[in-house]
Amino acid sequence: MQDAATCFHCQAALGHAPVEVAVDSETRHFCCRGCAGAAQWIVAEGLDDYYRLRRTEGGKVDEAALDYSAWDRDEVRDAHCRPCPEGRQVTLLTDGMHCAACAWLIQNALAKDPAVAAVNANAITGRVEIRWNPGKTRLSALCARLAGLGYKPYLSVNEDYERAKRRERNSLLLKLGLAALVTTQTMMFSEALYLDTAREMSVATRDFFRWLTFLLCSPVVFYSGSEFIRGMWRELRHRQPGMDTLAASSILLAYFASLYQTLTGGDHIWFDASAMFVFFLLSARILERFARNTARAQVDLLARAQPAFAWRLNGAVREQCPIGQVRTGDVLFLPPGEAVPADGELLSDAVEVDEALLTGESALQTRRRGDTLLAGSTLGAVAGEIRVSHTGQATQLSHILRLVEQAQNARPVQNVWAERLASRFVTVMFLVTAVAFAVWWRIDADRAFSVALAVLVAACPCALSLAVPAAVSSAFDALARLGVLVLKPDALSKLADISDVVFDKTGTLTGGRTTLQSMATFAPCTETEALRLAYGLEAGSKHPLAAAFAGFEGAPAAFDGLSAIPGHGVAGRLDGAEYRIGKADFAAPGQADDGVWLGRNGQALAHFRLHDPIKPDAAADLAWLAARGLRSHLLSGDSSERVRETGEALGIGVWRARATPQDKLDYLKALQAAGGRVLMVGDGINDAPVMAQADVSMAMGSGAWLAQANADILLMNSRLKQIPQVFAVAAHMQHLMRQNLRWAIAYNVVAVAVALSGVVHPGYASLGMAGSSLLVTLNALRIHSVKP
Amino acid sequence: MNILLALIPISLVLLAAAVAAFFWAVRKGQFENLDAAALDILADDSKPRPNAPERTDAD
Repeated sequence: MQDAATCFHCQAALGHAPVEVAVDSETRHFCCRGCAGAAQWIVAEGLDDYYRLRRTEGGKVDEAALDYSAWDRDEVRDAHCRPCPEGRQVTLLTDGMHCAACAWLIQNALAKDPAVAAVNANAITGRVEIRWNPGKTRLSALCARLAGLGYKPYLSVNEDYERAKRRERNSLLLKLGLAALVTTQTMMFSEALYLDTAREMSVATRDFFRWLTFLLCSPVVFYSGSEFIRGMWRELRHRQPGMDTLAASSILLAYFASLYQTLTGGDHIWFDASAMFVFFLLSARILERFARNTARAQVDLLARAQPAFAWRLNGAVREQCPIGQVRTGDVLFLPPGEAVPADGELLSDAVEVDEALLTGESALQTRRRGDTLLAGSTLGAVAGEIRVSHTGQATQLSHILRLVEQAQNARPVQNVWAERLASRFVTVMFLVTAVAFAVWWRIDADRAFSVALAVLVAACPCALSLAVPAAVSSAFDALARLGVLVLKPDALSKLADISDVVFDKTGTLTGGRTTLQSMATFAPCTETEALRLAYGLEAGSKHPLAAAFAGFEGAPAAFDGLSAIPGHGVAGRLDGAEYRIGKADFAAPGQADDGVWLGRNGQALAHFRLHDPIKPDAAADLAWLAARGLRSHLLSGDSSERVRETGEALGIGVWRARATPQDKLDYLKALQAAGGRVLMVGDGINDAPVMAQADVSMAMGSGAWLAQANADILLMNSRLKQIPQVFAVAAHMQHLMRQNLRWAIAYNVVAVAVALSGVVHPGYASLGMAGSSLLVTLNALRIHSVKP
Repeated sequence: MNILLALIPISLVLLAAAVAAFFWAVRKGQFENLDAAALDILADDSKPRPNAPERTDAD
């Protein structure tokens, strides 16, 4: 099962010296000790089913950062762990959970600890909730266990928000559960009354059953139905009657009219109708809300995974303090490799930061004294100090978060249209009901109320208002499960009209492991010597180029004072000479500007040509796009040689090399002027205007997605395969949406007509109404069966 | 019809029990994670564990 060249645990490509460990009497290869340790523990604890059940690769285990002792402090306990019967309860966020098998592993791994009472890991929202006895096991031990398995835990910054989310979800579930159980019973008791067609039941027995149904119906209407009653209140206060107004007034009308009939010994009661109404409406609403929440939880996840502590400098003394206690003007010490906790001015000479979360730029940026460091960026290998300028909600990161949240809350055009239609429909329907009541009052005063109620219930445009949101949110949910985030709700609808797909940068199509294609050396340097030097220089580098030299067998050259200069290369000293590797003007000035150069004191020693292989699934996915009649284009800033190679290998007919951002913009405009609808696929870095010009934009990247808010759709794990998936889901969504709208409008017209004729009992009208809502919602859920 | 006097209270008690059980389950977080539970059944728990004592049929 294990591919020879990948780590058994995290399936990352193996370096030149993989760790070999016997696991379960077989020798397995690992990329590092951390992964080997995780696999050994998993197998020893009998949890090796994880490897069989998982569908995606595991998280890489970080060997270094396993010290969570700071989390045992009282401030953390008070801020993040609330008391529960078993001891304490905490919600941790982790970004490594990809599939249900991860959740399974986490649950079983943590439950091995006898102090742990309950674990709930949710792979879709990325939350792990633990209830445990802090007297027996410390939180840090549990966190270290999680991190040791490759799931790095984070404390949520806003515990209240997490709690509110969970409370809302639980309260909806409780309401639905109560409605389901009690409504069933209400219907059974009402059935006794319906079956009494010959009116043989004694008045006492009849009233007994009526009071019973009243008793059961009341909690359903006022507890489960409170969603709608509150919604009606809200809508009426804004003088904009909508679906909730119609639903709640039908529920309350049926309920109070039945109460009146029970008290006065009238002919009909409709308690069962009002309970059924609540139950069916609530089911439809909950399905829709849950789908929306899971899509949103993913967005919250990384953004809220900020550090919980900061090191405050008090004179020369460093003290660790919770992030909430950091104030503007404080001086903070930033340890290397850790996230910056607040915006601030740099007091140290120079540091390197990874601002991927904020700008999408994954290369390390150099910041000098006086520059601003932003919360959410991660420090490179050098420690630094900042003076805090903004904290909490005032930071740049919080600002971006709010943008993302707004995008998530925006509603697609069709939805706005359907809601406006429903709102107008509601006003008209109240008039129609009044007229129906007046007309039937003349024909048969006894049935007038029953008919009016049936009309009101049948008129409820629930299906109409659910038709679009149900399809949209289940599409969002289906995509979130695939690792695709939709930020602009209209993007999916627009995908249907796309005629051209433009790939921005070669990097969106390539991006496998860089390999060494060919090399040339200059005397007296030999090939082995050049490789040894290159490997030594690149050994500590995270740059993709470094991977090309990692295959070198043998000991690397031991350099002193290695330093990476972003955008140029790496420099280091050996035996009194300065060696550099990187671009020509950096390593060997005067040489041709292509490939990678190795130089000693400015003299060229060797020239490497690197090969950046095309992503393994790229060809199949481009063929899929072509089969759908979409034209692919490749615009790249790279040299024409490389672009031509990529284009030819993938069968992309139209490509342009050495394109500047302005060229790209012009190219796009020309396509659009010729009537094309353009989907732009890029990595979201430095290409905001081009992305904005496209009809729909997709950005690829992992972790860096937040700042790519200028893209409409984010592909979170950089797999091209997701593009066909997004197309398939979008097309299916359009189809379902149209189907839903047609069905909902047809239902409302027919149902109102039938109700007006006076042949339907309000209970059946509510069944039809709720049935149509459920049908619309369930129809929308079919989107999960899409297999592109 | 006297049977009703027994059956209706029974049905109400059963209903109350069902509602109480559901409320308990939600508050205990039984519905928090519905995905991992589906995998439990696929996990093979009958094989001998290196660390665990041997199970016998009497267990």
